[in-house]
Amino acid sequence: MGGKCPHRKVKKRRLSHKTARRGKFLVKADDAVYDELVKLADAGKDADATQLPVDEDLPGMGQFYCLHCDRYFASESVKEEHYRSKRHKKRIKQMSGPAPHTQLDAELAAGMGMPDNGLKLMSM
Amino acid sequence: MRLEKCWFCSSTIYPGHGIQFVRNDAKIFRFCRSKCHKNFKMKRNPRKVKWTKAYRCLHGKDMTQDSTFEFERKRNRPERYDRNVTAQTLKAIPLITKIRHERHKKHITERQKQGKTKQRERDAKELEQDIQMLPKKDTMLSTQKTKVVVKVSQQQTEENLMEE
Repeated sequence: MGGKCPHRKVKKRRLSHKTARRGKFLVKADDAVYDELVKLADAGKDADATQLPVDEDLPGMGQFYCLHCDRYFASESVKEEHYRSKRHKKRIKQMSGPAPHTQLDAELAAGMGMPDNGLKLMSM
Repeated sequence: MRLEKCWFCSSTIYPGHGIQFVRNDAKIFRFCRSKCHKNFKMKRNPRKVKWTKAYRCLHGKDMTQDSTFEFERKRNRPERYDRNVTAQTLKAIPLITKIRHERHKKHITERQKQGKTKQRERDAKELEQDIQMLPKKDTMLSTQKTKVVVKVSQQQTEENLMEE
């Protein structure tokens, strides 16, 4: 009976114990998703073109994946349904916007210069 | 004793202060006080919160480009110790700080100059428009004429003297 909030009506938002909230922490954050999208764009690929590893623990063997929302789907048709959803379109718009805030942005705003990584070491 | 910057408001975090959140992809978020930590947990964007340094730099309210910023940076490669260089650096630090403060002050003064100019123009226009509402000279003269001079009777004075 633990973890329920009496005055919250929506069922999935009444719970506060760890097990119920774990899903929130497993989702990739905005800057991680943004970094992956930028990496793919630099490589000249689309988010759907990447070859995904086979994983039996994931739905659909991990082959139907939405990078923007960081979700796995059971089949192609379900994924297509997801692409038409409002949440996914919102995520796409969000990822197309400016880059998320990072520690480097905070430091530059505070009046520090760019980090000094020293001389490039000789590559073997 | 490394001084870090807050992820949210960009202020300095001195040792023994603030809190640190390490995400499960090993990215570190440092916060100077619970105010910033709470704002982060509520998923607020520092660029849209007006009291943060990121907002102020983005909207031109603080100085963003200056050569004094190059002295303070994160150095990911340790420097070899040199006694003379260290002495020079320690001597130069107060001077650099002073110069930075002066330039920052000047930047703010320059930024507010436009507002002051517009305020002056607005005041001049208001004076020009509303000068008619002031009382005129004739009215003042007529007011003066209505004044009545009241004389003090001597009896009161005598009574006061007798009482004493």
